[in-house]
Amino acid sequence: MLMLTQMIKTMGRTLLRLKFIFITFLATLLAGCDQKVTGILNPKGIISYEERILLFDSVALMLIVVIPVIIMSFAFIIRYREGKRTSAYKPNWGHSVFLEGFWWGIPCLIIVALGIMAWHYTHKLDPYRKIDGYPVSLKVQVVALPWKWLFIYPEQNIASVNYLKLPVNQQVQFFLTSDNVPMSAFFVPQLGSQIYTMAGMQTQLHLLATQTGTYRGLDSQYNGDGFSDMHFPVEVVDDAEMKAWFASVKNSNKTLNLSNYTKLRQNSIAHPKEFYSGVEDKLFMNIMHYYMGHGPLKFDN
Amino acid sequence: MLKELILGNLSLEAIPLDEPIIVAAGVFMAIGMFVVLVGITAFKKWGCIWNEWVCSVDHKKIGIMYLILSGVMLLRGFSDALLMRSQQAIAADTSMGYLPPEHYDQIFTAHGVIMIFFVAMPFMIGLMNIAIPLQIGARDVAYPYLNSLSFWMTFVAAMLVNLSLVVGSFAATGWLAYPPLSGLKFSPGVGVDYYVWALQIGGVGTLLGGINFIATILKMRCPGMTLMKMPIFVWSVLCASILICLAFPILTVSLGLLELDRMMGMHFFTQLHGGNIMMYINLIWAWGHPEVYILILPAFGIFSEVVATFSRKRLFGYTTMVYAIGVITFLSFVVWLHHFFTMGASANVNAFFGIATMIIAIPTGVKVFNWLFTMYRGSIRLDTPMLWVVAFFTTFAIGGMTGVLMALPPVDFHTHNSLFNVAHFHNTIIGGVLFGYFAGFVYWFPKAFGFQLDERLGKISFGFWVSGFYFAFMPLYVLGLQGVMRRLVHYDNVAYQPYFIVAAFGAVLILIGVGFQILQIVYSVKHREKLRDKTGDAWNGRTYEWSISSPPPVYNFAKIPTANRIDEFWYEKEEKDPAHVHPNDTCFEDIHMPKNTSAGFFIAVFSGILGFAMIWQMWLPAIFGLVGVIFTVILRTFNNDTDYYIKADTVKQIELAHYKEMLS
Repeated sequence: MLMLTQMIKTMGRTLLRLKFIFITFLATLLAGCDQKVTGILNPKGIISYEERILLFDSVALMLIVVIPVIIMSFAFIIRYREGKRTSAYKPNWGHSVFLEGFWWGIPCLIIVALGIMAWHYTHKLDPYRKIDGYPVSLKVQVVALPWKWLFIYPEQNIASVNYLKLPVNQQVQFFLTSDNVPMSAFFVPQLGSQIYTMAGMQTQLHLLATQTGTYRGLDSQYNGDGFSDMHFPVEVVDDAEMKAWFASVKNSNKTLNLSNYTKLRQNSIAHPKEFYSGVEDKLFMNIMHYYMGHGPLKFDN
Repeated sequence: MLKELILGNLSLEAIPLDEPIIVAAGVFMAIGMFVVLVGITAFKKWGCIWNEWVCSVDHKKIGIMYLILSGVMLLRGFSDALLMRSQQAIAADTSMGYLPPEHYDQIFTAHGVIMIFFVAMPFMIGLMNIAIPLQIGARDVAYPYLNSLSFWMTFVAAMLVNLSLVVGSFAATGWLAYPPLSGLKFSPGVGVDYYVWALQIGGVGTLLGGINFIATILKMRCPGMTLMKMPIFVWSVLCASILICLAFPILTVSLGLLELDRMMGMHFFTQLHGGNIMMYINLIWAWGHPEVYILILPAFGIFSEVVATFSRKRLFGYTTMVYAIGVITFLSFVVWLHHFFTMGASANVNAFFGIATMIIAIPTGVKVFNWLFTMYRGSIRLDTPMLWVVAFFTTFAIGGMTGVLMALPPVDFHTHNSLFNVAHFHNTIIGGVLFGYFAGFVYWFPKAFGFQLDERLGKISFGFWVSGFYFAFMPLYVLGLQGVMRRLVHYDNVAYQPYFIVAAFGAVLILIGVGFQILQIVYSVKHREKLRDKTGDAWNGRTYEWSISSPPPVYNFAKIPTANRIDEFWYEKEEKDPAHVHPNDTCFEDIHMPKNTSAGFFIAVFSGILGFAMIWQMWLPAIFGLVGVIFTVILRTFNNDTDYYIKADTVKQIELAHYKEMLS
């Protein structure tokens, strides 16, 4: 019994050590091909970074069970193959409280650990929750349209289509809905979580990018023929460049008035980038209210 | 007006003659059907097919028909998979591949629907039908006529899906048809209607089957076989049947509400008029999660049987295995939200469902250890069924691990709807469900047909299947972590293409594996005399199905056995010498048997007419179909001639013939 506990402790320690080696190895590998590896394995935002830690930690915990299972499945068929070790053959042995306690107990402990991690991180990384320690410095309203994304910066009164610019090291608060397209989902894998966008409803997301660069944003929920082209570049820049961009968009000769919006919400695939220097008053709110059956917007659906 | 009432929206334009791939598939199906029909006519087998098979209420024959349906639909579902893999291997960067989105979207929808509803479910119910009555020492299921009806409803539903390929189109919504995409606005065609009616008809069949097996297992066990002495496969089927009865009504309601939205302008799920799509998503997954446990539990049961038999050792921890199945059954109802963590529920809700999902890993892990320690100090024969079990251990361990990973909401926020998710569920469904059913198929094939499957071809097909699976799905895990989503018809990052090519290679390996399985069956049929199972106990089994001839006589057991302990048959073989009593020294009685009936077939056909007519809004044929169903059901209740007796002398002759063959 004591030997067994010691064995487990050594296994656990080795696994943890292996995990650090594994992460260092992966990080070195990824640093070299920084542009090539996308997604949670190459995080560029606080949320993604924490989610990656959770991913590796939970894999390490589960390997405690998975690796012995795989090893035993091969070891036993080799060792107890018909014809070998006939002295070991115990045809009527099928019960051991100790062994059962062992493999009920260890998985229970692992699940308790995972459960505590699940509770803690689900709350900490809740998309609706503001990221601790940073004020919200930018608000973006996101409208999923067929088959493109509309991003409204309400406080700057500008909008862009299929292009998102975000400031580095600043918390951005997103409000999301969709219009004239089946349920979609906003996702920038290297920055943070995905969240559904649903007509008549508002979802929220908080992201904080930690490194400048261009990342990939996309729709993760299949929503029809134009689904595969519903992706957009996300440019993370420093504060000065952000302010300069706001100023330059303000010079655009297009405004997102009702007639332009009505055109925008029609079907189009692989829609080119667009920039609007003014946005119809309370557009985001009214889009949601349209689906609730009231509000000023009327469309021929 | 009359033309509208009869033909509805149906017209020749419904046949997509402008799409070459569909035309080719349709022609291929037509040729296949034609060959079969001509063959049956040429060999003058219509009488036999009608009397012995279509009208059969014998669980053994119905089981075989389920397996044939499953095999044929596997070819269709797998063709869809090959189309998808080849498209994704080509369509990188500027290449659009050869499948336009409108077509590709139907392919992945059909792939999912066919594989779950018309391959996995019929495969499972087929094996259940063949084995359960034999394992509990019964002569048939509790409701043989209902059994026949269940099969024909499933068959008609599958035919509706096949018909949608050539008449109209299928849904292009994904296999669960979420609104608003599946609503009238975004899917105005007949595709979603085909989907709904096929699943409603099939769903009735499955639900009736669930009721049937609960009644059979609870009421028809042989004397002495208490619940805690049943084979574990029977326990797993009992719990799966309970899940069927509790979950399938949810599917019926969800699809029913969707169809009311589509056909009668209601607004359960239309956002613009007070409906809410989140309701559908909750309902459909409240069915969908128990569904995957319905599929996996019988596979677990098969593993228990095969591991014990091929290790020549009793199953480790029988009582714990039963409780583990029970816990899994219960927990499968409280985890459904993990399919949509990203829909914006609060952290408390997400965390609760995440933790509940992870808890299921405990009883599942316990079962795996119990199987491993059944092998420990056993005497293991690595025949094909056991090979599938060994492959299952590694494959399902990985699949289960990625499942628990995704049960953590923050991780799921990255993997939801990605190829990581796709890899996980294929990992568990192929590695768990399919490998289990393949093991059961090879295991019970001799019992059902009277001859074994060729071992060498079985091992070769196993090798291609397992290696093909890993090549096809391991790259998808990597792609998923990189942020590549599911259901993409093309993608712009060329760096992903090598992974898709490897996955396509894996699909080809699986294709070769399937080819060898077909070859194995053909070869074994051809050499069936050489492979004949003379004793009825092809594997030196532990449970009662191995105590009778292969194939069993129509009445299964001449004398119902008495079970005093678990694996009673095994211990009888060990203790008694000789194990079998000579028929001349046995006293036989007349055996009461149910008569064949065509009622199940006709009810299903009328249901199919009703479904097809409702899809195309052909009101007169719809009424005809509905009236036909009701009329046949009532007509059947007036039929008093539903049973017959097999005389004791006939039984004795059959038993003598088997005894002689056993000794030869």
